[in-house]
Amino acid sequence: MIRMSGLVGQLRRGATPLENHFADEFVAGRLDRRGLLRQGARIGMGLPLLGALLGTLDPFAMPTARAQLGNQGGGKPGATIRVACLMPSDAIDPVTVANAGGLVLLAQTGEFLAADGEDLVLRPALATSWTPNADGSIWTFALRPGVKFHNGHVLNADDVVATMDRLTDPKNGSNALSVLRGVLSVGGTKKLDDLTVAFHLDAPNGNFPYYVSSDNYNAIILPADYAGDFEKNFNGTGPFKLDSYTPKVGASFVRNPDYWGQRALPDRTEFSFFADQQPQILALQGKQVDVVVQLAVHGAQGLLNDPDVKLIKLHGASHRQVHMRTDMPKFADKRVRQAIALTLDRPALVTGLFRGLADVGNDSPFAPIYPSTDKSVPQRAKDLARARELLAAAGGGFAATLTTERLQEIPDYAVLLKNACAEIGVKLSLKVEDQSAYYGNAKFGTSDWLDAEIGITDYGHRGVPNVMLSAPLLSTGSWNSSHFRNAAFDRLVGQYVAAIDLQTQRGIAKDIDTLLLDETPVIIAYFFNYITAVSADVTGVRPTAIAQVDLQNAAIG
Amino acid sequence: MGSDGAALAARLARRLALSLLTLVLLSVVVFAGGQLLPGNVGRAILGPLADPAAVAALNHRIGADQPALATYLRWIAHFAAGDMGESYVFRSPVAPFIGRAILNSLKLAGLAFVIVVPLSMAAGIYAALHARRWADQVISLAGLSLTVVPEFVSSILLILVLGVWLRWLPISAATRPGSSALDQLQHLILPAMPLVIVLFGYIARMTRAGTVEALESDYVRTAVLKGLPWRVVILRHVLRNALLPTITVIAAQSSYMIGGLVVVETLFRYQGIGSLILTAARGKDFPMLEAGILAVGAIVVVATLAADILATVLDPRLRSGGSR
Repeated sequence: MIRMSGLVGQLRRGATPLENHFADEFVAGRLDRRGLLRQGARIGMGLPLLGALLGTLDPFAMPTARAQLGNQGGGKPGATIRVACLMPSDAIDPVTVANAGGLVLLAQTGEFLAADGEDLVLRPALATSWTPNADGSIWTFALRPGVKFHNGHVLNADDVVATMDRLTDPKNGSNALSVLRGVLSVGGTKKLDDLTVAFHLDAPNGNFPYYVSSDNYNAIILPADYAGDFEKNFNGTGPFKLDSYTPKVGASFVRNPDYWGQRALPDRTEFSFFADQQPQILALQGKQVDVVVQLAVHGAQGLLNDPDVKLIKLHGASHRQVHMRTDMPKFADKRVRQAIALTLDRPALVTGLFRGLADVGNDSPFAPIYPSTDKSVPQRAKDLARARELLAAAGGGFAATLTTERLQEIPDYAVLLKNACAEIGVKLSLKVEDQSAYYGNAKFGTSDWLDAEIGITDYGHRGVPNVMLSAPLLSTGSWNSSHFRNAAFDRLVGQYVAAIDLQTQRGIAKDIDTLLLDETPVIIAYFFNYITAVSADVTGVRPTAIAQVDLQNAAIG
Repeated sequence: MGSDGAALAARLARRLALSLLTLVLLSVVVFAGGQLLPGNVGRAILGPLADPAAVAALNHRIGADQPALATYLRWIAHFAAGDMGESYVFRSPVAPFIGRAILNSLKLAGLAFVIVVPLSMAAGIYAALHARRWADQVISLAGLSLTVVPEFVSSILLILVLGVWLRWLPISAATRPGSSALDQLQHLILPAMPLVIVLFGYIARMTRAGTVEALESDYVRTAVLKGLPWRVVILRHVLRNALLPTITVIAAQSSYMIGGLVVVETLFRYQGIGSLILTAARGKDFPMLEAGILAVGAIVVVATLAADILATVLDPRLRSGGSR
């Protein structure tokens, strides 16, 4: 231990102030092992220092091993893994894909600069390291040498620059714009040498590596001369390469013998596309597939106690947002919004709607899994007496129409919310619509989602809370369905996004949480788990909460 | 006989012309209906949370931002020349999608018909011959009860019992590319069963009614009285007349069997034309939607025409044109 401390001391003398900050946090016990890994990875802390602090030679081996089920990565090579996933709803093009089926396929042959694991720890992938400048406005990434695309082309900085420019150029209509707009613009990615790129950001951003990781599923690195024909060859750098792809039916992949990292265990993977969840469950129970990539608890209750099936449960940040129009008379008084939030029995929702497979939310996008979430902020709980008091002070009960979408448990949640509100004299009538009708044109004035006086909307998982803090809540946010306009909040979010060190992030998170609990523009009652189901004899399947699935170490028996 | 043939040809020509008109009208209706669907292609691809500018840029890139009427007119001109166009959503030609889906649907419908038609007709005739006895009651009641079981119920039950518990049959209708005809047949048995269940009662009842009517007719009584053997009476006189309503029913069911099996296709993971049309409508994929619906329309038209011809062949009264 003393010897290790000596080594740590030596390494720390050569470390950056930021690296030393996280080392201090770890030594002081304010950061646990997983937290250190996560933060160290985010700022590109050197592996020797990270390893020395954790007392291990390969720090990234730990979360990897933990993630594996059953035999810890000792599975037999050579299996054929059959996977059920949702049907990609359009062409498989990394620039445009925005659906669960498509993004699963992208990540089979494509790779990112960094990989975000199930534990939200970034691991080096096509980049070996990354470092910010002092204010986090420029991030420099070192690329892995000798990486070959499946067509033989060797990865270099030009490919990364072209990939990022393709995603950020507005005329390409990329899905990645919803993440990268205001963060990185076209022309902001610069080649320093063949194996180094620098990202010059639109504004300082402490979490930037997540924006070019697997978290941003469109950001797989493609060759500079990519012609929009990914579907023909799935030309990526990953451990599997394309065997065959039939739109609307399925795809198969085989091991890539030239992979830069450890060779994939399976000989072959076969993906079957399904239009719905129920047939996937039946196919798993009938032993026609070995893995179901993504399951909603709603409708999958039958699997929860099936001894032939293992469920991989990941805590995530996927949630439903109850938004109330802060600019409309009925909900303009924050006491009304607080009162409604106080009617909900959140632990009961977690049990009733998710069989316990969810975390209680505190009306803020800071989910419990985020390391920057300040857990000392008091949890809001059901308090009908206080709710009635607040509502009376604000003028008493009223009637309103809650508009929402038909998706998984949301209609049930809407009914529970309606019943809870009835207890304090707020009479909600429900309008449950098809998803396309609910979102409409997704523009203010022509979308039930953005215009409803009160509504419930689904939001998916993100590795960092940045997007969830800005788009639905900033004054200028394009998803701001509660029409929340609060200068103090806008300022805090700006500070949070720019903050690089965890302590600062956590401090601002606490202020944001406190402000949101007071204003309550939205109610976030739960964050549900991401569930992957595998046959009991299958090992080494590693999903991410974004809905990707890594089969590199998968084995049967 | 010569004038008979000419009348038949004229009749067929008229029917064919009407069918073409029907298809043109159908394409107009689909086009007009498509305008009512909410959203647009780019929005369907990028999802509700995508930036409006990104949606507009994508629509421009794939050509979905052209004026609707111009798109339609251009599409129909190409279609008439044999080019089905390119899917907006999949950004590749529509024809292979439609071709594969239609072929799949025909395979499934064909297998279901091959099983259900002889089975239900035999049951219907047997019931008619034993009218108002217990066998008749059982066949009629069972048929009627089965017909009202929705496919999603019968499908799930069949999958659970035969696929999950007993593991006798594969659950998925889709086979690996290049698998043998026997393998494909094995995969299609389970998905065909719910269709058999739905159609059995219907066809059996129609056959029974037709047979009962024929049995009570004057010509059958004459045939029996002039001493023809019972077998000959049944085969030559009863069956021939009992077939007419059955053929009509089968033709009328063809649109359902080809284009209306979305639930069965979803549950058994089968890429038929029904679910192809549904997803095309959801994604506002205009070329795919038009081509898909016209393909189903064409099949229905052909099936109806074939039923007409068959009916004409079976019923001499129809052949002489207007003497009925």
